[in-house]
Amino acid sequence: MTNPELRKKNRSSLIILAIGMLLTLAVASMPLYTYTIGESEQVNGLSLWGFIGSGTSAGMIILLTILLALFSLICGIAGLMGTWEIEYKDLSPRTKTLRGASVASALIAFLLIPAIYMANNYFFNRKRSLFLTNHLEEGSEEYLQSMDRLLFKGSAGEGIESSLRGLDIHLSGMFFLLLFTLMLMIIAAVMIRHGEIKNTLFKMLLYFFVVVVSVVTVYPYFVMLITGLRTNSETLDMFFLHILPTKWMWQNIVDILHRGVARFLLNSLLVAGGATGIAMLCGIPAAYALARMKFVGKKPFLGFVIVSQMFSPVVLLIGISQLMNTLNLNNSLLGLMLINAAFNQAFAIWLLRGTFISISPEMEEASLIDGCGTVSALTKVLAPMAAPGIVTALIFVFINAWNEYTVSTVLISSAELRPITVGITTFSSFNMIEWQYLFSASLLATIPVVILFMSIEKHLTAGLTSGGVKG
Amino acid sequence: MNRTKWEPYVWLLPSILLVSIFVVFPIFIVFKLSFSEISKSGVVGDFIGFQNYVDAVHLPAFGIVMKNTFFWVISVVGISTILGFVIALVLNQKFRGRKIARSILILPWATSLVIQASVWNYIIKYEYGNLNNILLNLGIIKQAINWRSSYQIEFIWACAVGIFVTVPFVTFCILSGLQSIDPALYEAATVDGAGFWSKLKNVTVPLVKPALTVSTVLNIIYVFNSFPIIYTMTKGAPANKTDTMITYLYMLSFYERKKGPASALSVIGFLILCVCASIYMFGVMRKEESV
Repeated sequence: MTNPELRKKNRSSLIILAIGMLLTLAVASMPLYTYTIGESEQVNGLSLWGFIGSGTSAGMIILLTILLALFSLICGIAGLMGTWEIEYKDLSPRTKTLRGASVASALIAFLLIPAIYMANNYFFNRKRSLFLTNHLEEGSEEYLQSMDRLLFKGSAGEGIESSLRGLDIHLSGMFFLLLFTLMLMIIAAVMIRHGEIKNTLFKMLLYFFVVVVSVVTVYPYFVMLITGLRTNSETLDMFFLHILPTKWMWQNIVDILHRGVARFLLNSLLVAGGATGIAMLCGIPAAYALARMKFVGKKPFLGFVIVSQMFSPVVLLIGISQLMNTLNLNNSLLGLMLINAAFNQAFAIWLLRGTFISISPEMEEASLIDGCGTVSALTKVLAPMAAPGIVTALIFVFINAWNEYTVSTVLISSAELRPITVGITTFSSFNMIEWQYLFSASLLATIPVVILFMSIEKHLTAGLTSGGVKG
Repeated sequence: MNRTKWEPYVWLLPSILLVSIFVVFPIFIVFKLSFSEISKSGVVGDFIGFQNYVDAVHLPAFGIVMKNTFFWVISVVGISTILGFVIALVLNQKFRGRKIARSILILPWATSLVIQASVWNYIIKYEYGNLNNILLNLGIIKQAINWRSSYQIEFIWACAVGIFVTVPFVTFCILSGLQSIDPALYEAATVDGAGFWSKLKNVTVPLVKPALTVSTVLNIIYVFNSFPIIYTMTKGAPANKTDTMITYLYMLSFYERKKGPASALSVIGFLILCVCASIYMFGVMRKEESV
């Protein structure tokens, strides 16, 4: 056991663990400190032990946290003694257990600390604002005080309330300290087992990053879900009482279906389906010609396809609305289908051409020699082989058309022809927004496309850099 | 093969018809409108030269709208490219749950921009927004924060939402570039003693460059054209101070009924896009030839 590198690794991991445990103790005793200060300012002069002994949940959790931290420290020290130069797998079972207990109790202590704050703050804020909403006109200090006493069990009441207010100030800083210490502890725990500081740190950071990014990404969908299923008064709650709906209003979905959303969804389905059909009917032959045939003007045409991908209908809105007026296609679903198909044509051709090129032409040539026409060579031989690419292009056009908003707002003027993206805006007028309906309709509009999109995600990445796409 | 000389053109015909009627023709209409006199009711009058362009430049909000557009495009494209690059590097690592992470991160791309913008609009409300709700209930803040205290901040929020919905596209573009890199190159670099940063600088970045160029140019175009986010979140208020060119154009032509200057703006926007498009086309064509 004289491997110097191993010794170094072991030592650094143990030092990190020791620092982590000391920090636990510090963090755990911080509420203690604050409570002592808060208490000294009290007229009532409630002692710390009186506070813990008064049976409030916060007091009990604090006591438990401190005990756990002390336990962790003792186990940790006992588990370190005389083990500087021994690798984890060579340790005696007793030492292993001691170290494990130390890490585990420290972790539990950590998790308990925010729990104190969350439990108390949430409970207290909520009750207080409920009181304020109900008794605003006569909301005297006397009422509040009596309520606080009621909440926090008699004489202990005022002491806790003001100390809690004092704690709030320390809170944000504490959360960061907590996170930092927690990470340190986990790193140490993993390191003791593997002794690979760099890899472990890297993995930790990686997971941390992925989790943060995923949480931010999912957050708006979470909001959509919980807000879409609330009651109207709860969406406009000025007192921030509940994170989750108190009553899950599945009725909202029934309501919006009666208020036109069923029609909007049908319109969207028609527009997106029609646009996809038209885009494919025009795009597949074009892509086939571009992939398999030689002709004059092929290169300029390809260039044009790439460039036309850049033309967004938005910048041309004025021209499009004028054109639709002359064609008598404004305020019709057919017009929307055609526009969506035309503006997705470039991507469809580009993706399909790539798929067709990647398939060897021998099979078709054989069928052509057998006397098949080009059309049947395409439909019977090539199309089945190119199915994944065709499906990808199909779904992609569908999603783009489904999510399209700007052209629809301009072209569609009558309420019953609106697609869903425009339709959801009926729930938000200037003076009154029915958030719960807006978001339950959004949910209905989002879920099907998200499922479709995930199904083609794999194929899409392959076609991305050759033909650019975006919704 | 008994393919006749004109057969390819028959195959192309439906596509050409569709695109020329609904994409190319509107371009001509916009150009024509921008040189014509248009009454408030939309009646197209005589050729008046560049008068509409002069009017457009002299609109009171023109300067600030141009500034906003510039800020919007640069900030959204720049930040989302950096973020997307980092996320793509992470997703290219092997770790448990990678597939789930990829599916989650693609979500904003699949969602309609109006819906995204409405949700964020609700999240950052001062009086009952969800962000304040969650932060208060977790005890992280003491009082509700006014997240949108001025129109400048509202515009920055709109940019943030723009970044949020643009990142997945960049990520997946770069990821597809990263996945085409031969792992043997990294192994060789490791043998040569290259660390993480030097591998990033000498192997990853040069090989991802084509994907990066494509995604950046496309993003400039998409972000420039983005309409629903700003329209939903600020509606350009107050007094067009948070409008970009696209939302301003919409307001101008469909609310204020100034179709002449609006179509002049359209043409200007279109020409800007054309420059970007030709840069992109040369890039792609060169790649096609080299393959």
